[in-house]
Amino acid sequence: MTFVNWLKRNLVVIAGLATLGYLLLPNVIVTVFSFNKPKGRFNYEWQQFSTDAWQHPCGVAGMCGSLSLSLQIAVWATIGATVLGTMIAFALVRYRFRARGAINSLIFLPMAMPEVVMAASLLTLFLNLGAQLGFYTILIAHIMFCLSFVVTAVKARVMSMDPRLEQAAQDLYAGPVQTFLRVTLPIAAPGIAAGALLAFALSFDDFIITNFNAGSTVTFPMFVWGSAQRGTPVQINVIGTAMFLVAVLFVLASMVIGNRKGRQKA
Amino acid sequence: MTTDNSGDVRLSGISKTYGAFTAVHPLDLTVPQGSFFALLGASGCGKTTTLRMIAGLEEPSSGSVHLGDQEVTHLPPYKRPVNTVFQSYALFPHLDIFENVAFGLRRRGIKSVKKQVEDMLELVQLGEQARKKPHQLSGGQQQRVAVARALINHPKVLLLDEPLGALDLKLRRQMQLELKRIQTEVGITFVHVTHDQEEAMTMADTVAVMNAGRVEQLGAPSDLYENPQTTFVANFLGTSNLIEAEIDTRSGEDIVLKAGGGKLVLPRTRCSAPGTTGGKVLVGVRPEKITLTHADDAGEIAEGRNRITGKIADSSFIGVSTQYVIDSPVCPEFEVYAQNIDRDARLVPGADVVLHWNPAHTFGLDPAQDIDAGVDAGEEAA
Repeated sequence: MTFVNWLKRNLVVIAGLATLGYLLLPNVIVTVFSFNKPKGRFNYEWQQFSTDAWQHPCGVAGMCGSLSLSLQIAVWATIGATVLGTMIAFALVRYRFRARGAINSLIFLPMAMPEVVMAASLLTLFLNLGAQLGFYTILIAHIMFCLSFVVTAVKARVMSMDPRLEQAAQDLYAGPVQTFLRVTLPIAAPGIAAGALLAFALSFDDFIITNFNAGSTVTFPMFVWGSAQRGTPVQINVIGTAMFLVAVLFVLASMVIGNRKGRQKA
Repeated sequence: MTTDNSGDVRLSGISKTYGAFTAVHPLDLTVPQGSFFALLGASGCGKTTTLRMIAGLEEPSSGSVHLGDQEVTHLPPYKRPVNTVFQSYALFPHLDIFENVAFGLRRRGIKSVKKQVEDMLELVQLGEQARKKPHQLSGGQQQRVAVARALINHPKVLLLDEPLGALDLKLRRQMQLELKRIQTEVGITFVHVTHDQEEAMTMADTVAVMNAGRVEQLGAPSDLYENPQTTFVANFLGTSNLIEAEIDTRSGEDIVLKAGGGKLVLPRTRCSAPGTTGGKVLVGVRPEKITLTHADDAGEIAEGRNRITGKIADSSFIGVSTQYVIDSPVCPEFEVYAQNIDRDARLVPGADVVLHWNPAHTFGLDPAQDIDAGVDAGEEAA
């Protein structure tokens, strides 16, 4: 009876911890195996502890090149998708124009369509245009599928914005540019930031669309895929762990900043 | 010596239409420099649209707006020497109180704003709150920030769009006095939009009562209240008893009317109806002008007073006064407010009474109007 009561009281916590464990388990495995010293080419069985891979993260031919390429594409795709997506979101919320309804629903298409289909049709398009497959075709493809996520995130924020704030800014001697920079943009910023983060993550780890449209260029996900068929270097786990840590640090930093702001308010 | 008229607001024939809907019919209005002017009306009467046309947030469909000698009809809001206190304040949520107040100064390129902002925050008693964000303040405090943010720019005219609507009653009364004090102190022209007739009468020097996109009547609060020109004003500002009567004779300064067998006297100057003999007129009297006497004491009523007989249908005691509803032959629901000074114990529902009042408190209106105009609007607003 007491156990049942205890369970009732702590069910939410238990469920939360179980979910967290489920989510984190793969990351733990990746991290543990980044300290492995495998026999042979495959890093699937624990042998012995070693920091070799951490000391030579670029020890595998071609890997760091592909990583840097992926990061570059992700940064540019994020910038492109965020700028375009923010403008589209504002246009869709603020203005009444022809085809607004159509655009509003078509913008979700890239989210809904199977990636393979989109990848194939993009390839058809590029080949018909006679485009050279590589960095720019990947970038164009990434901006395209990131757009809908940015638009969705920014639109939600812009829709909840009180139009009187901009009127107040205008009333207080801010011209159109000043109003946008001083009031509209700062208030929309959380939505834009969320969209940008999504775009970065999506672009960085995209495989299917990239694989179709890359030509001979190799991004990091493609490199991992390729090497998995011949053997998995421990360095892949090192990169994976490092990315995970960076993300965790970002989250922690934003929480600390948020808390400090909260404490100032109180 | 020339008088400063740079804070005059002159609206000439301005109107606003949205497609087929006319929000404001062509309107002429002059608000003199330094006055506290209220636009009063129920929601949807065009008062806010009028205010927004002065602010530049709405472009008039016709007519012109002048501030002093300057025409501003087509100037964008950020080029007009006018500031607005918005309904629900529209404080910038991402800026602290100091930066909210400094916003207008900074946009005009003024570098050293610290002293001015601090002085302004002192004026509205918010010096301690400078580094807080708007959502951390109470409604009344936010309201004062909105006033400070507008006033710091020394506008020619301050526009207030239902600034007290979101506050509770007690705080609203307090802020009314506060705003009035600030207005007297800074001497800026205030144009105040409200649906609360008491608020308009308490604060403003001049009130324009608006209905369906038109100004029904304009004047000092006491003038509007004592001499309503239309049934809408009579019903919207406070309560009026209106009776239909027939003109019997006109003798000198007075018009004698027949209503339900009795005679009523109406001063000619207080009649806005055409008033030819044999014609109709709507006679009005405010509930608090009427004295209630028990029918047994009818003999004691002084000569020369307008009188009507009736029976008390209902009475409600509300502390300072008692409100009676009288069923009389001329009007089934005649309202009378009596101060609770010497309460006559016989004045209970069912008692026969005589209602009497000084003829000077009677007013006459054009009978072509809807007798109930503004009744619901007034109730909704109160």
